[in-house]
Amino acid sequence: MMPPIVRLLAKRLGTSLIVLVGVSMLIFAIARIIPGDPARIALGPNATAEQITMLRERLHLDDSIAVQYGYFVRDLLRGDLGISLYTNRPVTADIAQFLPATLELIVVAGLMMILIGLPLGIISARYRGSWADNLIRLLTLLGVSAPSFVWAVILMLLFAFFLPLFPIAGRITDSYTIEPVTGFLFIDTLLAGNLSAFADAAWHIVLPAFALALSGIGQAARLTRSNMVETYDKPYIEMAQSYGFPEGKIAWRFAFRPSLIPSLTIIGLDFAAMLGNAFLVEAVFAWPGLSRYGVAVILRKDLNAIVGTVLIISAMFLIVNIVVDLLIAFINPRIRYSQRAT
Amino acid sequence: MTAPTLLIRDLYLAFRGWAGQIDVLHGISLHINKGERVALVGESGSGKSVTARIILGLLQQTRSARVSGLVAFEGRALAKLTEAERHRLRGNRISMIFQDPMSSLNPVYRIGEQFHEVLKRAEPRIAPAAAREKAAAALADVAIPDPNRALDSYAFQLSGGMNQRVMIAMALANEPSLLIADEPGTALDVTVQAQTLELMRDLVAKHHTSVLFISHNLGVVREFADRVYVIYKGRIVEHGRTADLFADPRHPYTRALLAAVPRITGEGVPEIDDVSEDYFQPLVVHEGCAEPEVTG
Amino acid sequence: MKRTLFILLRNPLSVLGLILVGTVVLSAVFADFIAPFPSHRGAVVDFANFNKAPEWPYIFGTDLVGRDLFSRILYAYRISLLLGVVVLAIAVPVGVTIGLVAGYVGGWIEYVLMRITDVFLSIPPLVLALSMMGLLEPTLTNGMLAVTVMWWPWYTRLVYNLTRSEKEEGYVLAAEVIGASRAHMIFREILPNCVPSILTKMTLDLGFVILIASSLSFLGLGVQPPTPDLGSMVADGAKYLPDSWWLTVFPGLAILVAVFGFNLLGDALRDVLGAEQ
Repeated sequence: MMPPIVRLLAKRLGTSLIVLVGVSMLIFAIARIIPGDPARIALGPNATAEQITMLRERLHLDDSIAVQYGYFVRDLLRGDLGISLYTNRPVTADIAQFLPATLELIVVAGLMMILIGLPLGIISARYRGSWADNLIRLLTLLGVSAPSFVWAVILMLLFAFFLPLFPIAGRITDSYTIEPVTGFLFIDTLLAGNLSAFADAAWHIVLPAFALALSGIGQAARLTRSNMVETYDKPYIEMAQSYGFPEGKIAWRFAFRPSLIPSLTIIGLDFAAMLGNAFLVEAVFAWPGLSRYGVAVILRKDLNAIVGTVLIISAMFLIVNIVVDLLIAFINPRIRYSQRAT
Repeated sequence: MTAPTLLIRDLYLAFRGWAGQIDVLHGISLHINKGERVALVGESGSGKSVTARIILGLLQQTRSARVSGLVAFEGRALAKLTEAERHRLRGNRISMIFQDPMSSLNPVYRIGEQFHEVLKRAEPRIAPAAAREKAAAALADVAIPDPNRALDSYAFQLSGGMNQRVMIAMALANEPSLLIADEPGTALDVTVQAQTLELMRDLVAKHHTSVLFISHNLGVVREFADRVYVIYKGRIVEHGRTADLFADPRHPYTRALLAAVPRITGEGVPEIDDVSEDYFQPLVVHEGCAEPEVTG
Repeated sequence: MKRTLFILLRNPLSVLGLILVGTVVLSAVFADFIAPFPSHRGAVVDFANFNKAPEWPYIFGTDLVGRDLFSRILYAYRISLLLGVVVLAIAVPVGVTIGLVAGYVGGWIEYVLMRITDVFLSIPPLVLALSMMGLLEPTLTNGMLAVTVMWWPWYTRLVYNLTRSEKEEGYVLAAEVIGASRAHMIFREILPNCVPSILTKMTLDLGFVILIASSLSFLGLGVQPPTPDLGSMVADGAKYLPDSWWLTVFPGLAILVAVFGFNLLGDALRDVLGAEQ
């Protein structure tokens, strides 16, 4: 018999695959039911009839939508997402080029969300009712109350223009030339042994990542607080208090650990929101990532690129959620031992 | 004469809320001598459980609570101790068992880890191996068949009765002089509850532990306690040795409670629907049960 | 009712939320009377007064063609609120019904409905709406459509979970024993018990719809000019930072104030109605 954790993983992977197929159908359907001829829209008003016919053939636009989807899946299984009509390169190549910058941004923002949001929530719950709690609640609510592009603009105005502590835009100062090996600047600069370039890249990512993280920080803190406050009413907290365990230990081991479980689920969802909000932050900070590419191809109605980008983003979201589920199983012995997932 | 393990004199408790002040305890007095098992009996909402929390010093921290009166543990008034000293008593000299063993244990830690925490209260530097040995012995004392397996389990993997035994073992592990049992095992089924109570009685007798047994269940109290205080709406209404009180209940409220017993045969809350003015009659104290003088 | 109001007014933050939401709603409804330059909602140019820092009578300054930002923000609120109300008016009934059916009926219907919901939930909200807007014509109606399509699954999920737990409650079993019909069970027994949670979420969401809609138009995929929109105002102004800071700061703060107000009010409602998250 398989250990429960492996069974859980298998089950989650299976469900995710079904969902991913659904996503591909949905986005494919949306892309194909648009009014007008996609080929004409993509090629612009100056295209000749011959060019349009050729493109229609290449995209199989004259077949039924089911057949078109069949071609799409066949190509997808070969790792081929088609040619971008905007860059004229394989969509996979475009995504491979732009994805690392976005991932780097999201990972840093995700770390900020967890490392700042959770402690704020814990402090808030531990000292609930105090002035610190009220202040944190107010600030975190403000954090979730503005879209990340507003935070991006405000942060840029305050900490790049008025107080020039951070660079205004971009990923790294132009004077550094770093050979792209992985596409991740943090890794590439280290591979090149260029520590000052590494520091420069780190300096560039602070503001965009923080702007992206702000609403997640707020969400994580608010959720952790409310879960912990609820947990504080549980009998085992009273039991811990009656045994005189130190308050810090009660906060951490008795109130936080059990309430982390519902918080984690939401953190996973926040991560998804970040994948979308990266579109906004990258636009403000001229961050050369997948989101900027995404907006560009959406504006140009570049079918293949749109479908590919959405699919990759959804796959990333599903992977994050599987990781979150495994983390929950790791923390929650009830799932680990009895495999009662979801 | 040595001081009683617990002495409560004229204890008042009120909560200050947005609807004004709510009085919960109207000056109750009780005492427990060393090795004695004393029951505090009443309906839910009568003020039994808050009394337990005051003894542990937990309620005093609540900002809305107003507490006055004397609570002395082994001759020392709690109010005169520093917070650190009061804290040292908890889980060490005074320990507590709760109503629902299933939800009173932390769901994400193994029993062994939680036992280690408890033992650290008496011996902060106890090594994990030594703690484990001690915990296993304590679990063997409460007749848990495979202590080591239980220590490696989570609460949800054990039955309610097993969890209750674990709770009892934890509560007695540090040899406290006072054990507060707040409706122990009410959440369990009747036979399991009876078994664990019997176990608990034997253990506290062996260790000469004083017990404050809080319950709404007169049937259980009769089996367990040496003396009984009956509490009604924040006032003690009758006090006497168990045998005397059951043989000759003198306060109208006690009589009403006892009349409700046959219907409940061990479980359920006695339902006394009609509130009578008689229930507010003054305290009845049985022979030889006067409260001790307060000294010092 | 009196008690509810009392609890609501006892908390200063709830009162603040009430004031903010009231201000936003009233200024949107009465924009024609409040706005100093009502005509500036449209394609008006006044090059004599272009790009002015805040000064009387332009309390928030003017934009690059000389239109009063304050007036435009009032009209933008009107569009945002309209969009929010329409989106919720469609998304909530759809999402709630699917959630009720999936949660109550169970079986393969539940499996199919919930997997479809999962599909929508696994595309980041903004990305789904963006792709739809990019492929459709960027009009207000399509904007509402795109946001609605991404919004209903959240209600399905909420109501589905509530239904699943309500189903086990005694009163539901009792009604089933009597032999109540499925429709009666779903809409008369279970739905009323979900109402507090739905209402709370709707209040919060009115703020978040404004937030998402402004994000769409920030990327140029929402409401199109000359219709005033908070998101596109920020986007247009961002190119002129830091000198013309008022072009971005005031519309940005306008979004913050509205969403913050709805959030405070939603939190207050949650406390009062005792809704679950």
